[in-house]
Amino acid sequence: MSNGVSVKAKLLGRKREITERILPEEEALDAEEYIETVEDIMKEVETETTIDRQTTLDACNEWFVKDSQPLFKNSHLKYLQYAFKLQFPANLTALDASQPWMLYWIANSFKVLQPEELTEEFQRKIVQKLFTISPQGGPFGGGVGQLPHIAGSYASINALSLCNNIDNCWDKINRKAIYNWLLKLKQPDGGFKTCLEVGENDTRGIYCALSIASMLNIITPELCEGVLDYLINCQTYEGGFGGCPQEDEGHGGYTFCAVASLMILNKLDSVDVEALMRWCSSRQCNEEKGFNGRANKLVDGCYSFWVGSTAAMLEASGKGLCVSKNALHEYICQCCQTEQDGGLRDKPGKYADFYHTNYVLLGLAISESEYTLQTKQENTSAVLIESKSNTKLDYALSNLQEINPIYGVPIADLTKFVAHFNTHL
Amino acid sequence: MSQQECYQEFNEKDYEDVTPMSIETGLKDELCRIMYTDEYKQLMGWTRAMLSKNELTPRAIRLTSKLIDLAPAFYTIWNYRYNIFSHLLQDCPDKESWTAKELDWLDEITLNNPKNYQIWSYRQSLLTNLVPNPTMKRETPIMNMMIDDDSKNYHVWSYRKWVVKFTGDYSQELGFIDRLIQKDVYNNSAWSHRMFYLKNIEPDNVVINEEINYVKDKISSVPQNISSWNYLRGLYKLFKSNQYDSEIIEFITPFVNNLSIDQNNDQLPEIQSSYALELLAYIYSLTDQRELSTHYYKCLATKYDPIRSNYWNHKIELLSQ
Repeated sequence: MSNGVSVKAKLLGRKREITERILPEEEALDAEEYIETVEDIMKEVETETTIDRQTTLDACNEWFVKDSQPLFKNSHLKYLQYAFKLQFPANLTALDASQPWMLYWIANSFKVLQPEELTEEFQRKIVQKLFTISPQGGPFGGGVGQLPHIAGSYASINALSLCNNIDNCWDKINRKAIYNWLLKLKQPDGGFKTCLEVGENDTRGIYCALSIASMLNIITPELCEGVLDYLINCQTYEGGFGGCPQEDEGHGGYTFCAVASLMILNKLDSVDVEALMRWCSSRQCNEEKGFNGRANKLVDGCYSFWVGSTAAMLEASGKGLCVSKNALHEYICQCCQTEQDGGLRDKPGKYADFYHTNYVLLGLAISESEYTLQTKQENTSAVLIESKSNTKLDYALSNLQEINPIYGVPIADLTKFVAHFNTHL
Repeated sequence: MSQQECYQEFNEKDYEDVTPMSIETGLKDELCRIMYTDEYKQLMGWTRAMLSKNELTPRAIRLTSKLIDLAPAFYTIWNYRYNIFSHLLQDCPDKESWTAKELDWLDEITLNNPKNYQIWSYRQSLLTNLVPNPTMKRETPIMNMMIDDDSKNYHVWSYRKWVVKFTGDYSQELGFIDRLIQKDVYNNSAWSHRMFYLKNIEPDNVVINEEINYVKDKISSVPQNISSWNYLRGLYKLFKSNQYDSEIIEFITPFVNNLSIDQNNDQLPEIQSSYALELLAYIYSLTDQRELSTHYYKCLATKYDPIRSNYWNHKIELLSQ
C-alpha cells in the first residue's frame, strides 16, 4: 500500500504538531529534507482514511484562522422561519417518512435559540399536523397513512412537548395505545423493533421507547425487562456502544442512545464507565476540535450532541468531565455556520440542514453549560438534569435555552410536560 | 406463474381500477409540507388504497418496487412488500428459486442506496423467516461490493456480523478482514469486525498470541493509529485478564522515545505515538506505579494530546485517591 506515497502525503498522520514547528530559515530552505526525516519517524501511510481526513482538515483550517465568530442567531432564525413558512420542493420527498422529525428539529431549534419564536401559531400547526398523522393520538407514523414507527413517535412526543399544552393538546396523547404498542415492539432479547413486522432492533429502538415512556410516565418493569442486559452487551472493547449486542463498532449515535437509556434506567454504573469516558474523550482530536462519531472517522457537527450529550450525562452523574467544551465551541462557531446562509452544518463544504441545525445547536448549548443530576422528583419517571452556565468557557455565552441532554429538549419545556403527566398510567 | 408476474415491468394500466387515497393532510398552511410530484401522489395513493384492503398480489409487489425506487426510506412500503411476498410464497413449490429472485432484486436496490436502514432489516427478515437455506455464499458478494464502495458502511458491517452469526459460517471473515486492514490500516470498522470474529471463534492461547503479534506488526508500521492500539488493549482486556507482562511493555516503550520522569516540559521529546504513552500510563496505573503513571498523563495533557486534558486530569485525580 505504501508504494507511490508522495512526501507530502506521508505527513497526513494523526499527530500534526510535529509539522507545525517553526523552522529556522536555513532549515526551512531545506524543508524537503527535513520532511523526509520527519516521515521516517512518523511512518505514516496514505490511505483512504488519511486522505479524507486531510481534505476535512484543510477545509476546517480555512475557518479556524478567521476571527472568532459568535453564533449568528439572526441568520439561523431566518433559516428556521423560512423552513416553517415555505413548502418543501419535491426533491425532499425522501423525507416523506420523517415528517415528525422535521417538526421536532425545526421547533426545537427555535426553542433553543429563542423560545418565543416558536409562536402559538406554529405550535397549533405542529399539533394539528401530528394529530392528523395519528388521529387516535399515537403511536405516530412518518406521515398520513404510514405505519406507526418508534422513531416517528419519539420525534412526535418531543415536538408536542415543545407546544406548551396549547389547546390542551397534551390530553389528546393516547398513552394507553402508545404503551400497548411499545410492548408489542418488544423483542425476546430485550430490545425494541422500530416497527411491527420488518423493523430494525438496535439501541435506537430502546432509547426511543424509554424516552417516550419516561416522559409520558408509562414506564413499567415489564417494558424495561431485558433492556439492561441488552445495553451491557452493546458496549464494545473500545468503550463506546454499538447498535446491536454483537460487538458492533462503537458509534456516537448508538452510544448516545445506550447511555441515555442507562440514565433513564438509573443504571449507568452497570457498564464500564471508565472505558466509556475514554472512548468519549477520544472522539475529539486536537486538529478538528469537534467530535467524530467513530475512531478514525471524520468530524461532524451532529456529534456535538451525540457525543457531547454522552459526556454531559457522565458529567451530570458525577463522573467528571472528559471532553473539551471550549474546543467544541470553537469548532461549532467557526466551522458549522456562515453568517450569510443561516442554519448549521456538518462541516465546511456541506450545506446546512434541519437535522444538523438542531443537533449542532444542542451541542453548543452543552458546551456552554455545566450539568448535575436533579435529585429524583416525585410523580415522574423522567430523569431531570440541572444546568448552569459554564464558568470555564473562553467565549461569550450565546444565551441559549438550557437543555436536558437525555431528551434533547429545553429543560423548561420538559419540566412542564412531565408535570402534566404526573400520574402513572 | 405469480413469481414471474412479481418482477415484470411496472405498468400504470394495471391499477386503473384502484382509487388512490390521499397521502396529504389537507391542512391549510401545513408546516413542512412536501410538494409531491403528481406521479408520487398517484403511486403512493394507490399503495395506501391497496394496503388498506390488504391486497397481497403480484401487481402490489410491482407497485412497491416502483415506490422503493423513489423513496427507499419509506418503511411502510417495506413492511407491505414483506407481507405480500411471504403470502405469495406460501403456495409456491419452489421457495428456493423465488427467494433467490427476491434477493437478486434486493441486491439491485441495495447498490443504489448505500445509506439505507430498511434494506438490511428487510434482508434480515427474509433470511430469518423465508429463505429455505440461507448461506454466507449468497450474502458475501453484495456485502463485499458495498464495503468496497464504502469501507466503513455501518449498516453493512452490522448486517455482516448478524449474518455470520446466523449462518454460523466464519470461514471467510479472516481473509476478508486481512485484505481490508492491508488496504487501510486505519479502518476501524475492519478492526472491530476482527474482534467480533475473534470473540466468536473461542480462541485458545496460541491464537491470541498470534493475534497480539499481528497487531504489534501493524502498530510498528503505523504507530499513531487509535484503531490498532484499541485492538491491542481489547485483546489484553478480553483474553489476558488485563495482565500486561514485561514483554509487551518492552514493545510499547520505544514508541515514547526515552520519555522520562525527570524531564521538564520544554525538554519533552517528540514521540511516535500518543496512544503508546496512554497505554503505558494505564499499565503503570494498574501496577501501582502511580508516580510514573501520573507523569505520563501530565505529559499527555500538556504536550501530546492536550485536547483531552480534562480526561487526563480525571485519570490523574483517580490515581491520587
